[in-house]
Amino acid sequence: MADSYSPDNEPTTRTLLRRVLDTEYPRTPRRPRSTPAGARKALLETPFSMRLRSQTKTAAKRRSHRGRSIDRLAHIQTSERLKEQTPRTLLENILLTAPESSMVMPESVVKPVPAPQVMQPSSPESSRGSLELQLPELEPPTILAPGLLAPGRRKQRLRLSVFQQGMDQGLPLSQEPHGNTDASFLTSSPNLTFATPFQPESVQRPGLARRPPTRRAVDVGAFLQDLQNTCVALAPSGDSLNTPAATLPVDTVLEDTQPFSQPLTGHSSSMHHSLPCSSVSAERVVSFRTRSSGPRLQNDSPRKPAQHLAGKAEEVAALAVGSPNNSSSISGEGGLEPLQDEVGEEVEEMMEESLCVSKVKEAAGTQGSARAEEPETHTEVTEAKGSWRAVEDKEPEGSSGDKDTSASSKLASSTPEFHQAGQLQFLEPAPPASTAVLSSEPLEPVSARLPPKARTAGPRQRRDPYKTGLSHYAKLFSFYAKMPMEKKALEMVEKCLDKYFQHLCADLEVFAAHAGRKTVTLEDLELLMRRQGLVTEKVSLHVLVERHLPLEYRQLLIPCAFSGNSVFPAQ
Amino acid sequence: MEDEEGADEQQQFSYQQRLKAAVHYTVGCLCEEVASDREVPLSKQTVAAISEVTFRQCENFAKDLEMFARHAKRSTINTEDVKLLARRSNSLLRYITEKNEEIAQFNLERKAKKKKKLEDENHSVQPAEAEVMESEN
Repeated sequence: MADSYSPDNEPTTRTLLRRVLDTEYPRTPRRPRSTPAGARKALLETPFSMRLRSQTKTAAKRRSHRGRSIDRLAHIQTSERLKEQTPRTLLENILLTAPESSMVMPESVVKPVPAPQVMQPSSPESSRGSLELQLPELEPPTILAPGLLAPGRRKQRLRLSVFQQGMDQGLPLSQEPHGNTDASFLTSSPNLTFATPFQPESVQRPGLARRPPTRRAVDVGAFLQDLQNTCVALAPSGDSLNTPAATLPVDTVLEDTQPFSQPLTGHSSSMHHSLPCSSVSAERVVSFRTRSSGPRLQNDSPRKPAQHLAGKAEEVAALAVGSPNNSSSISGEGGLEPLQDEVGEEVEEMMEESLCVSKVKEAAGTQGSARAEEPETHTEVTEAKGSWRAVEDKEPEGSSGDKDTSASSKLASSTPEFHQAGQLQFLEPAPPASTAVLSSEPLEPVSARLPPKARTAGPRQRRDPYKTGLSHYAKLFSFYAKMPMEKKALEMVEKCLDKYFQHLCADLEVFAAHAGRKTVTLEDLELLMRRQGLVTEKVSLHVLVERHLPLEYRQLLIPCAFSGNSVFPAQ
Repeated sequence: MEDEEGADEQQQFSYQQRLKAAVHYTVGCLCEEVASDREVPLSKQTVAAISEVTFRQCENFAKDLEMFARHAKRSTINTEDVKLLARRSNSLLRYITEKNEEIAQFNLERKAKKKKKLEDENHSVQPAEAEVMESEN
C-alpha cells in the first residue's frame, strides 16, 4: 500500500485528502479486504501518489493518470468498495476524480463565471450538466500548473467544506457522486464532483462566492432562454447569414427573446428608420453587432452603427463591409465563444473594424465620438481575421497585440470596461436609439449582471460601446506604461484615441470615395499608411506585415504557397 | 561614369537650391505683406524657417498628389487630388473648392460664348475663331 506518501509541499486539495486518507488507513476495515483488491488499490494508489508528486508536472502525465484513474474508477465503481460508503471511499473517489478536475480547477476558479457563460452559447444543445462538462474540456489544456497552486488553495477550503458536508451526509454523498456523475467525473470540474449531487449551483463553486452568485444562476437561465431563442430565431430568419447571426445574439441576449426585435420601445422607432434604408445591411450589421455587444451595455451600439449606416444611405458599403464582418464574426463567434480570452480580443478588433465602417459612413459624424467607440466596445464580436484583415491593416500591431493578450487580462479588462460603460451610458447623447439589441453582450460575467439592468435606459447602451472599447485601449496603455496613471490621464488618452480613430476612418472613407469606390479596401489602408509614414519606399507593406503580424494573419495578407492545392488564397 | 553621376547630383542640387531660393523670395514677399498688415515685424530667421518648411511641404504635397492620382488610377493629377490634399484645413478646402467652381463656371461661360460666336460667324471666320478659342483655352 502506498501509504507513506509524503505530502507535497503544495497544500492542495489532493494533499489534504491524501493526508486524510493516510490517516484513515489504519482504521478502515478495508485492510483485510484490500488484499484481494490490493492490487487494484495499489494500482490506484500509485497513480494517486504519482499525481500528488507530479502535480505540477506536465499535464500529459496527469492525462495518463486520469486515463488510468478512469479505469480505476470504473473498477472501483464495479467493485464492492462502492458499497462501503466510508469516508475512505469518498476520499478515494475524490482523489480518483480529483486529478482530472484539479487540473481543471485552476481554470474553473479563474474563470468560473465567464467560462460557463461562454460555454452556453457554444453548446446550445448541451444540458446543464454539460455546461460544466464543457468547461474542463476546453480549459484544461490552457491552464494547468501555473494556476494550480493559487486556485488550489482556494479550492482547498472549498473542498474541505464540501467534503465535510459530504462527510456529514455520509452515505448519500458517496453514492451520489458515483451514480450521478460517473460520466461527468471524467470531465467535470472538481467542484462539481462534490457539489452536483447534493448542492446545486449555489454551492457548486464556493470559490466563486466572492462573485455575485446571481450571475451563475442567471447564466443558466439565460442560457436556457438562449436555447429557446435560438430555436425561435432560427425559424424566422431564413437568410443564411442572419441565421447564425440571429442565433448568436439570441444566445447572448438574456432577456430579449426576439433576435432583432425592438427591446426598448424608444429605440424601436429609430430602428424603423434605419431599417427601411437598408434593411438587409442594417440587419446584418446589427446582427453581427448585436452578437458582439453585450446584453445591456451594447444594446444600442449595434443599432447605432446600423442606423447611421442606413441613415447615410451608404448601404452598399455597409453591406460590403458588413458581410465580411458577419461572415467572419459568425465563423469566429462559434469557434471563439468558448474561449473567453479570445472574445475580448476579437471584439476589440471587430470594434475597430466596425469603427472604421461606421466612420466610413459618417465622415464628420456628430456623434462620431460615440460611434468611434461603439465598434470598439464590441468586445464580444468575435470578428475574426477575415474582416479584420480587410480593414485592420492599419492597425496590425494593435490588433495583434490585442490578440496576444492573455485571456485573463482581457477578461479582467472587459469586465471593468463594462462597468465603466455602464457609468458612462448616461453621458452620451445617443443617436436614435439602438433597437433591440439586448444583443450579445460579452458572454462574460457581465452578462449575468447586466440582464437585470438591461432595461434601464436607452442612452446607457449607446454610450457603452464607445467607452468600453476605448477603455480597453486605455488599459493596455496603462499596462504598457509601467507606471501608475491618473484616471484623468487615461481619460485624455481615450479622447485622443477617439479623435485619432475618427480621423483615421474619415481618411479611409475619403480615400475610398476618391477612388470612386464605396468600400474601404486594402489599397486605401495602404495609402493611409503611406501618408502616416509607416510605409515608405524603403519599407513596404509586406515588410511591415512580416515584421509585426503572427503567421495566421500574415498568410491572409501575403499569399504564400501552401502544400495544398491553392497557391494563392481564394478571394 | 561616377563623375557624370556626381555632376548630375550636383546639377540636381543646384537646381534644388535655385528652387529653394525662388521659394524663399516668394515667402519673403508674402511675409513682408503680412508683417505690414499686422504691423508685426518678422525676423529673417523666421522667414527663412518658413521658406524651408514650405519647401519641404511642397515635396510632401507632390508625393501625396502623385499617390492620390495613382490611387484613383489616373496618371494626371487632378483638382480632386488637390482637394483631397487640402481636406484637413477647412478654410483652405473651401477656398480651393470655390476657386475650382469659379474656374469651371468661367470655362463653361467661355465655351458658351464661343459657341454662339461660332454660330453667328461665317464659316470663313470660323477657323480663325477656332484658333483664337484654342489659344485662349
